[in-house]
Amino acid sequence: MNELINELKLKVIDALNLEGMTPEDIDDNAPLFGDQGLGLDSIDVLELIVLLEKNYGIRLATPQEGKEVFKSIAVMAEYVAANRKK
Amino acid sequence: MKHVTIPSGADLSALYRQLAGDYPKFFKMDVLSKLGFLLTEMLVADEPDRFRPREDRAVLVFSREGCVANDRHYAATLADFPSPALFVYTLPNIVTGEIAIRNKYEGETSAYVLEKYDEKRLWALVKEAFQDRITQSAVVAWIDCLSDTAWQAEAWLVTREEILK
Repeated sequence: MNELINELKLKVIDALNLEGMTPEDIDDNAPLFGDQGLGLDSIDVLELIVLLEKNYGIRLATPQEGKEVFKSIAVMAEYVAANRKK
Repeated sequence: MKHVTIPSGADLSALYRQLAGDYPKFFKMDVLSKLGFLLTEMLVADEPDRFRPREDRAVLVFSREGCVANDRHYAATLADFPSPALFVYTLPNIVTGEIAIRNKYEGETSAYVLEKYDEKRLWALVKEAFQDRITQSAVVAWIDCLSDTAWQAEAWLVTREEILK
């Protein structure tokens, strides 16, 4: 799981252009959205949905579903591990 | 009036770190918005109360190519996974919004796509923006992006007195 968490952090940094940020800067359990944690916005949710489909063959039906899956990197990794198709 | 330029091909990330450094959203912007953001930083960085919300400053951005540099990037993603982050910059007026949001400008914002750089027409349009009696100053920019590395980028900070003299 740690390997997947690190892989996800790298992909998130790349997909969202989080310039200057390294995997170590992202707490596994910190919220990805809102004022705390990474402070991502609604467009970032859409980019993360694309990231899951492109890299793991996972299709989320709605951005609302994404909000659950993208609570934190740790939650995201659990979801990917359980649902990945590639 | 204050006038600034950014040379074509300049390292915009380095310039951002030098001029601002506190606005990570910069890295998500298209090249047109990055240039607008940086030109404005150069113009207003030393203004007192620069982040005080104000309605009396307009933002007017002129170009020939609009946001076509970003449009090309977005088009390249269409066959695979269309990028939401690129899609949001597929309008040439987004740059004016980025400048207004960063600086808390609540006045007039306009983006004009001209056939060519036409100084006379550009300043005539700027003059029109001051007819509302609210606008006291304006960020005016000519930003023409041919690609992510080739552009013309210059901007002026002008006042009502300078324009309507």
